Amino acid sequence: MIFLTLEHILTHISFSAVSIVITIHLIILLVNEMAELSDSSKKGMIITFFCITGLLVIRWIYSGHLPLSGLYESLIFLSWNFSIIYMVPYLKKKKNYLSAITAPSAIFTQGFATSGLLTEIHQSTILVPALQSQWLMMHVSMMVLGYAALLCGSLLSVALLVITFRKFIKIFSKRKKLLNKWFSFGKRKYMNEKGNVLQTTPFIYSRNFYRFQLIQQLDHWGYHIISIGFIFLTLGILSGAVWANEAWGSYWNWDPKETWAFITWTIFSIYLHTRTNKNFEGVNSAIVASIGFLIIWICYFGVNLLGIGLHSYGSFTLTSNCIEENV
Amino acid sequence: MGNLNPTKTINSIVLTTNLFNSPLLHYTVNPVVYRLYKKGNTLSLAITCKLKTSQDIKNEENNMAKKILLSGSAPPMVEEGDKATGNREVQVKARSGGDVMGLVKRLPRRVLSVLSNLPLAIGEMFTIAALMALGTLIDQGEAPDYYLQKYPEENPVLGFFNWRWVLTLGFDHMYSSPVFLGMLVLLGASLMACTYTTQIPLVRVAKRWNFLSSSEAVRKQEFSDVLPRASVQDLGVILMGAGYEVFSKGPSLYAFKGLAGRFAPIGVHLAMLLIMAGGTLSATGSFRGEVTVPQGLNFVIGDVLGPTGFLSTPTEAFNTEVHVNRFYMDYYDSGEVSQFHTDLSLFGLDGKEVMRKTISVNDPLRYGGITIYQTDWSISALQILKDDEGPFNLAMAPLKINGDKRLYGTFLPVGDVNSPNVKGISMLARDLQSIILYDQEGKFTGVRRPNSKLPIEIDGSKIVIVDAIGSTGLNLKTDPGVPIVYAGFGFLMLTTCISYLSHSQIWAIQDGTAVIVGGKTNRAKADFPDDMNRLLDKVPELVESSLSNQSRSIGG
Repeated sequence: MIFLTLEHILTHISFSAVSIVITIHLIILLVNEMAELSDSSKKGMIITFFCITGLLVIRWIYSGHLPLSGLYESLIFLSWNFSIIYMVPYLKKKKNYLSAITAPSAIFTQGFATSGLLTEIHQSTILVPALQSQWLMMHVSMMVLGYAALLCGSLLSVALLVITFRKFIKIFSKRKKLLNKWFSFGKRKYMNEKGNVLQTTPFIYSRNFYRFQLIQQLDHWGYHIISIGFIFLTLGILSGAVWANEAWGSYWNWDPKETWAFITWTIFSIYLHTRTNKNFEGVNSAIVASIGFLIIWICYFGVNLLGIGLHSYGSFTLTSNCIEENV
Repeated sequence: MGNLNPTKTINSIVLTTNLFNSPLLHYTVNPVVYRLYKKGNTLSLAITCKLKTSQDIKNEENNMAKKILLSGSAPPMVEEGDKATGNREVQVKARSGGDVMGLVKRLPRRVLSVLSNLPLAIGEMFTIAALMALGTLIDQGEAPDYYLQKYPEENPVLGFFNWRWVLTLGFDHMYSSPVFLGMLVLLGASLMACTYTTQIPLVRVAKRWNFLSSSEAVRKQEFSDVLPRASVQDLGVILMGAGYEVFSKGPSLYAFKGLAGRFAPIGVHLAMLLIMAGGTLSATGSFRGEVTVPQGLNFVIGDVLGPTGFLSTPTEAFNTEVHVNRFYMDYYDSGEVSQFHTDLSLFGLDGKEVMRKTISVNDPLRYGGITIYQTDWSISALQILKDDEGPFNLAMAPLKINGDKRLYGTFLPVGDVNSPNVKGISMLARDLQSIILYDQEGKFTGVRRPNSKLPIEIDGSKIVIVDAIGSTGLNLKTDPGVPIVYAGFGFLMLTTCISYLSHSQIWAIQDGTAVIVGGKTNRAKADFPDDMNRLLDKVPELVESSLSNQSRSIGG
């Protein structure tokens, strides 16, 4: 009982800490940059990190197994990973735009886990036979870590797309006015621009070097974090395959969950390949990463919520809220 | 927005002006377009043609293709420029290799160049992803009638997708359909072609230590800086301290680190091919089978296993007989099943026990290439004593199977068995833990555990439940592809991690008292300038006296 109370307290502390951090971020965004405020947002994230860590440890102690066996637990683990990704750059004493992505991601997952789901799911469930394996820790932690990193990276890419295309629209509307004056000239310019935007040649960027720099930063950080996430995803899928060969009788079963994990892997390998080509870099690779963002959510939630392909593992069919055994 | 890096700004301005003076580039394009390429400073000959055609990507691709066709002795890896870093070294190297390639017939080369085309590979990957997604949306492995009803011609999905599509293209068994397998084969071919024509030449180039002899060339790198009063030797020492391999020749210096990061993508591709090969072997050379055996009975492995492909060949071990010594379950305190166990003995042809193991989920038995998995269970019979007679074996029948919630039942007739409306005692069980008994009227009378020896009185007869006999559901397989696939997995994990290493190259040249430093990297482009600036800050500034020594030594 003491564990449950402790868990409850920690859940609430972490959730409110994350909310405060978000508020601070918004204030910084809307008003001016204030050193003290950004410092306190950093402290808030650290508090959140330790709360979620405590939460996971407590669940681990009283359930006797790793807290990775259900949707609620994996969501908590996901937000824990987000907070780790938030912390790492700070430990390296580097400022970057990642924190603007990781903090809201952490609050959304944390908020969804604490309030969005039914309270029964919060109950720590027993471990079904198929999950009783050493591979659980390796596989699930790698998968969730991979998802967290890929989500951050693809969100950065979405941000890049938004910034790029908002400007494009702005300029396009300006150009429209010009169209009335010099029709042919305007049209040619517009065609040029269209080509430019497709190749992300920064014709527009030259107007605003700061923006150009921001986009470059987003691009680089997105690439960086997606590369890391891709490594984790690879490790996760492969350890899952080895586990499946121990538990299910084959290393690959074309189960919906694992198929979608493989689709995710394929999409992000496409992303990494687009990066090797100068023509595709920037907007095109960002589009691929944004597709990847959707795919991760389909893989993580959709397959379970839509209920396609309920897992039929002999008699040991697992309840649909136990999502982790699916891959 | 506040972290605009001043060095970077200065750099790019310096570079741009520098580029306009460059003899390589001044005739190519107008300055505005040139400035558009932020990284234009690294691009040389190969890219100049790109700049000209940059308005139209399609055109450019055509150009590339034409170039490849034209070449009798021209570099066969022209698409290099389009593929990756597009540096001049690639071109030079390619030309020298051109003579060897010239011997190869044109057609294979054409095929190679088409296959190694990156947009094609990306298209293949997208198609495969889409097919897999479709495979999860369409129910797999149903009878044709099912698709006839689900995708009727009158009311097609999205206006065109009806059962004809599903059945003609084989989407009812997506992952073994010719379309899907064909795409995988094509992707495999692309992997090989890309490794051969693109990655290997890139590594060959990266492996060579090339010194840049002109300060212009050094300045043209992605990152460049000028240290006013410094010596190239000091820089070399600092770079060595930072983990670089440093080579110097006269006034020029070349340093690199993370070369493995260049090799690893080849490894990733090879690992994928290895996994594909292993998967093919698995699909064509396996045996599979399922069997449900009540506790105490036997079966012969060969009777259960069936071949999956034309490469499946049975082995000696197929004659082994398996005896199920015991099947039992572990339970949590709450009563839920925590684990299933089957105690198996294997007997050879001569009747001797060759192996004995208790298997459970996640802990299969392996013998002679055959793996036996615990996958299923049911209750086969109840052993009871009625009025101290027996024991009788009552067969249990599955009443409801819905995931975890199973129910088995049996019936013990009471009184006249031959009468038309025979009545009796019903016994139900969810698992092997407890049996629920109902009397003739269907009223609940009690719960008994097997082995408890505690009798229960129902309708005048004394019933003792001696035992509940379970049957174990076993999955058997042989899979010759597993070692290959696992080798591929291991290799893939390793090479994916190594791929993250960034291959950084640094050139420096002593120009009088100044050192001109240039560098580039292939992955961590955001961190590279920061790291470089930090390293360059450490380079000591030379005082007057040592400066003169320095210049003298260089002069000599």
